[in-house]
Amino acid sequence: MKFKMLAMLVALATLCLSETPGRTAEFHADTKIGVLLVNHGSRSVTWRQSLLNLEARVTAPILAHASVKGLKTAFMEYTEPSIATRMKEFDQEGFTDVIIVPVFLTVSPHTFDDIPTIVGLKEDPHSMQQLKIENIQRYSPKAKPHITPPLDFTDILQKNLLRRVTALSHNPANEGLVLIGYGDETYDKEWVDLFDKAAEYVRRHTGIAGYSYGWCGHIANYKPEETTAAINEVLKTSGTALVIPVLVAHDEMFQIKIIGDGIAKVPDSKNRVQYKPDSILPDLNIERWVVSVTDEYVRKIQPQVSRVN
Amino acid sequence: MLKWMKTRLRWPEGDAITRFNMAAHRDIGYACASLILAYCLSGIALNHIGDWNPDFVISKQPISLPHPFTKEEITKERIAEFGNLVQEEDYKVYDFPTPDQVKIYYDNASLHLHFATGHGTYEKVSRRPVLYQVNALHLNRLKGWKWAADVFALILIILSFTGLFLLKGKYGMARRGKWLIAAGMLPPLLALLLFELK
Repeated sequence: MKFKMLAMLVALATLCLSETPGRTAEFHADTKIGVLLVNHGSRSVTWRQSLLNLEARVTAPILAHASVKGLKTAFMEYTEPSIATRMKEFDQEGFTDVIIVPVFLTVSPHTFDDIPTIVGLKEDPHSMQQLKIENIQRYSPKAKPHITPPLDFTDILQKNLLRRVTALSHNPANEGLVLIGYGDETYDKEWVDLFDKAAEYVRRHTGIAGYSYGWCGHIANYKPEETTAAINEVLKTSGTALVIPVLVAHDEMFQIKIIGDGIAKVPDSKNRVQYKPDSILPDLNIERWVVSVTDEYVRKIQPQVSRVN
Repeated sequence: MLKWMKTRLRWPEGDAITRFNMAAHRDIGYACASLILAYCLSGIALNHIGDWNPDFVISKQPISLPHPFTKEEITKERIAEFGNLVQEEDYKVYDFPTPDQVKIYYDNASLHLHFATGHGTYEKVSRRPVLYQVNALHLNRLKGWKWAADVFALILIILSFTGLFLLKGKYGMARRGKWLIAAGMLPPLLALLLFELK
């Protein structure tokens, strides 16, 4: 009997020990999670500042996690700090895990191939060659990288566009919507679907029925002709075209030069085209998304680390 | 001393300047010929960057699967089987860009399959011989090459000026030369007038 009671006490003590907060804290003490907001990068200071503003706005809620000890932004192309630079910094600061949040519109070779190749998770032959000629350094960090999906924009983009279209619209019955985005050759279907769904959402809420889209990025050789063609398409059935840049942030080369030039080539554009060279950011819903996806990945990482320990 | 300097450091005579100019133009021309050709070749290649990839040969081969697959059917074994379609024995990793697509990575190649439709593309990437290298120079992809390119540009300016004063008389700059210089200015001036100043 005494032996049985002793055994029960030992079992109870073991159970309590494994559940005590102190024990949990010990597991978590070994976990040092960093968050890296990765964006495409641009030569435009305005563009980069928008992404830095996003970082500033999400810093407090993200750092509220006990395990998240750092938040940084990296620019994939053109300027420092690059992804490699930031990952080296995380390593030097002793981070065990880094959650990489790609602030990209939707799936593209940048999110699916380039970023994983840069941090050593993949070796995509095309990416490796392209990164080399663009002098984008690859670095396999000691910290474990966890890449979240790109912004699940289907819902966020719809609300974002509705807000911007509503601000620009005066007479929905006479207006058509023109969405201008970067575009992507490999995932063209996904981009078109995303834009179609967003346009349908806008139509349901505003009654603006006319719609077309055009690309302004690499797929269109950065030329304004596709913008012009998309606007002309809408103007066949609508009196006025509302042109919305579906771009993450404001870059003078895109919103002013390419899209602006495309609009200027439309006959009677001053009277028939409504345009504001704004961008998806700033958007409270994107900030919330960044926080929630980080939260989701922190919860994924912590049990893994606990098991390893 | 002053007399010595006057005799020794006198301004060279016209013929001597002409001879020096000719020699400079000739020797700079020899020295720069290879790099000028490299830049010209790359210039033509990069001019058409909208129509082709000047750096890489990207071969894309359409692939058809025996039948469409669901995501649950895309197992490691199935991924290995897909490799047989493109004569690839070992894959490195595979990943799903969307719920109905999978991309399989090999050494220097990838297979991107839309398994729900049963179609895909096998892509191989290789560097364009010569062009990849000359483009690397032209676009300053090599660390520090921009300084070499600056020096080269200055040397080309010298080459251009020495060329202007090679000959005198009927074929010199004062007669035939001035018309050809004017003709050479026309294309950029016309382009500016037509496309920028309208």
